[in-house]
Amino acid sequence: MRLILIDLPGPKRFHFDPVALSRPIWELRCGITSLGEKLVAATKPASVACFCPPYMADAYRARTAWPVNDPTTLAGDDLFVVHARAKADAIAKQATGPSRIQLDEDGECLFLRVGREDLAKLNAGSIDALIESAKKTLQPCSCDMPTWNYTWELVLENPAQLTRDFAAAGRSGIEGAVEDPCAIRGSKNDVFIAPGAKIHPMVVLDAEHGPIYLDEGVEAHPFTRIEGPCYVGPKSILLGAKCREGMSIGPVCRVGGEVEESIIQGYSNKYHDGFLGHAYVGEWVNLGAMTTNSDLKNDYSSVSVILDGRRPIDTGSTKVGSLIGDHTKTSIGVLFNTGAYVGAMSLIATTGKLLPKFIPNFAWFVEGAVTKGFGKRKLYETAAAAMPRRGGRWTEADEAMWDAIHDLTEPTRTPAVEKGRRLLAGG
Amino acid sequence: MDKAEVERRVRKVIRHVLGVSDDMILPESHFVFDLGAESTQSVELVAAFEAEFGIEMDDEAALSVDTVGGAVDFIAKYVS
Repeated sequence: MRLILIDLPGPKRFHFDPVALSRPIWELRCGITSLGEKLVAATKPASVACFCPPYMADAYRARTAWPVNDPTTLAGDDLFVVHARAKADAIAKQATGPSRIQLDEDGECLFLRVGREDLAKLNAGSIDALIESAKKTLQPCSCDMPTWNYTWELVLENPAQLTRDFAAAGRSGIEGAVEDPCAIRGSKNDVFIAPGAKIHPMVVLDAEHGPIYLDEGVEAHPFTRIEGPCYVGPKSILLGAKCREGMSIGPVCRVGGEVEESIIQGYSNKYHDGFLGHAYVGEWVNLGAMTTNSDLKNDYSSVSVILDGRRPIDTGSTKVGSLIGDHTKTSIGVLFNTGAYVGAMSLIATTGKLLPKFIPNFAWFVEGAVTKGFGKRKLYETAAAAMPRRGGRWTEADEAMWDAIHDLTEPTRTPAVEKGRRLLAGG
Repeated sequence: MDKAEVERRVRKVIRHVLGVSDDMILPESHFVFDLGAESTQSVELVAAFEAEFGIEMDDEAALSVDTVGGAVDFIAKYVS
């Protein structure tokens, strides 16, 4: 069976902005692995291919071994087409059986199972054609199919998912270097320190309430305290950080200060003091010293998030922090409001006050106003300078993708820039 | 709008954004070296000029303007 992961343009895709503006939804993390890795592990396919929004296909192709947006992958095997929003635990049960299609309430395909013998009855010329023909031809499946619906769900589910992923990984023990004195609380069976990881003296690993997985090349500097459940990705460095429970850090990050129940996709810096709670941070983000986000309202009411620049969405949770897009940089002392949307490719300067709940993508936020600043070229120059510092490379495909994102997000940015102009002109 | 009017309004914006007195604002005044504009204030200036004149300036071209006189000439082209 070939697994076909899909994340196509649709009415719910913006629910995963700003972090999914520059990657397929299946690349988002929850627990130790990405959603895509969980879907692959759950379905055990012979091969994998994927279809993502066309504007990001070239950039993504450079980052994955899977064929991307290649219609020839829609032939030659039994197909199991799965939307990135489908939860892996539930999808595993659907991997085999007669050809069926399962749609959500908006008619979006959650999964499509097609036996090789039925493929000839469908139009497999493109992923859209395949799904449309399947809708007309195949019997619908009416099983219960839980889905991820918003980015903050990944954050809220992260502690439990970390525990499940640790058990699934089946690894424990100390294979890296641990310098004394190092304190491990709880069971050592709930700690895995991978080969190449270095734990400096005076580090506390508290696995009493959940497992701790420190991946290859992780370095924990003195006075770091890590509470499980927790995952730290390859080559990430913890700088005396207070890592509270439920934290997932991707590869090559620098993390200091206090982090609680947050996900950092990778290649990002939160080097200094400051609190990050119930947040999802993209890649190539730099949070200046004392940058802090609120994740709880003083009246303990549920947090709302504005994803489209206009309408607040009630998350139903009392704890939601910031959603911060790729390549965004904050100055010292930035204070993000509860449930803030912080667009990708933005520069945020402190005002000393809580910032607005919606900061558009490509915004230069200065003096409390959204401006277009010196435009996207300057931001690209910064990205091109920053990425090689962590082994990355800014490519023509990246630039084309970000140009598309700039256009895509223009409707939410322009009104904010116009308002910012009036504010800065004193009007 | 004639150039004198453009200059009058440019000076007004500079006074407001940079907090400098009128006598410091000369055509040859450099925004950074003479008027003390930080990089974020340069961003504010561009936004405030756009609001004042109802124009949208090209990002990179606006970045290359570094004196008061240059700003007057640059904006005069947009509003003419």
